[in-house]
Amino acid sequence: MRFLFVDRILQLSPVQLVRGIKHITRDDHYLCRDEQGKLSFIPSLIGEALGQLAAWNVMVNHDFRLRPVAGVVSSASLYRPAYLGETLLLEAHIDALDDVAVRYHGVARVGDDVVFSIESALGPLLPMEQFIDVDEVRRQFDEINRPGAWPPLDMANMPLNTPLQDDVSTPTASMSFDHVLSSEPGIALCAEKCITRAASYFPDHFPRKPVLPMTVLLECKLNLAREFLARAQFPEAYRISELRKIKMNEFIYPGDVVVCYLKVKSHQAGELVLNYRSEVDGKRVCVLDVVMTTKGA
Amino acid sequence: MNVDSVYPKVREIIADVLVIDEDNVALNSRLISDLGAESIDFLDLVFQLEKEFNIKIPRGQLEKNARGDLAEDEFEKGGVLTAAGMSALKNYLSEIPPEHFKANMKVNEIPMLFTVETFCKLIVAAVSEQKASETVA
Repeated sequence: MRFLFVDRILQLSPVQLVRGIKHITRDDHYLCRDEQGKLSFIPSLIGEALGQLAAWNVMVNHDFRLRPVAGVVSSASLYRPAYLGETLLLEAHIDALDDVAVRYHGVARVGDDVVFSIESALGPLLPMEQFIDVDEVRRQFDEINRPGAWPPLDMANMPLNTPLQDDVSTPTASMSFDHVLSSEPGIALCAEKCITRAASYFPDHFPRKPVLPMTVLLECKLNLAREFLARAQFPEAYRISELRKIKMNEFIYPGDVVVCYLKVKSHQAGELVLNYRSEVDGKRVCVLDVVMTTKGA
Repeated sequence: MNVDSVYPKVREIIADVLVIDEDNVALNSRLISDLGAESIDFLDLVFQLEKEFNIKIPRGQLEKNARGDLAEDEFEKGGVLTAAGMSALKNYLSEIPPEHFKANMKVNEIPMLFTVETFCKLIVAAVSEQKASETVA
């Protein structure tokens, strides 16, 4: 159950851009079901795939001595799920890079459809040796670095239009908080998640320093938003459209207990903004806003 | 443009970056010890200030400004500030009370001194430099 999502790098121009693909198949472990029950790739992990793609560019440029880790993301927009049988076309642009940090933006498409985008992500660079053996990461890069062209865009033959037979027994991965600690319906929610070493993402994230991927925490928070909506019973139906002002201050390690405080930041016609603050031992580890818009808006 | 004129916007950005109430931010607040800033917050803060004021703040600019005309080995030796380095730092960070400068201070401890006013001064200098370079061009 690898937590490495770029299947192939098609183009890598150091400190400029990098393009790659990720196929979404039944061999994927990180699948979920959308509201219609269709199998799709876990939405936040499209962001992870883009982050990993940008990271390859950075790591190549620094000869694998440094690697970026999650830091700040101004905005990540979710347009639609990426379904089983589809191929994500990933593209990341490096806006600034030095020995301390990288700033990049990126977009994931299926055919001509933009499914996910990241604006202004800022990742601090840390010594590779802390996280993974340098030779191992070089080998991983050599495996997937196979320059080539984008797959042909033949929308008529896209799997989206010729869906695969769904199999209800296909396993899905759950990314959620363990339990709710307190709830004020329509106002606030507090939940807790215990981080276990048994989680499937730790062997790759990272072999020498297992830390919770920020995108896993984000997906847990998106699912907590759904829990909040279910309890709030608002008359309008909402969809998650954007994650804003994401910041990961501290690593979260196996054995930690994450407490997440969710509250309504603003609630106006057509838009609901939820503010999240996560803490470990009372210390802030991650903050973000989740923007939800009324369905059909 | 001066410290007073940029302070309200800098204060707002610092509060936003550190996820704290603006009322908790004062001109003489130290970012690390008073407001709880961490290294990622500094990266975020510099980026937000660059965006807001349309300027470029190169990495390590504050330390570079503090060093002034001193060569790097005159400013610090083995990561510890020299007497000349400490004097230059005190001179540049004139807004910081003398008792906050400790003996044998390390270069990597300089950010502990930074206050909200330090960043206001940085913005004023960066904007002024930018205008000067535009005039020359």
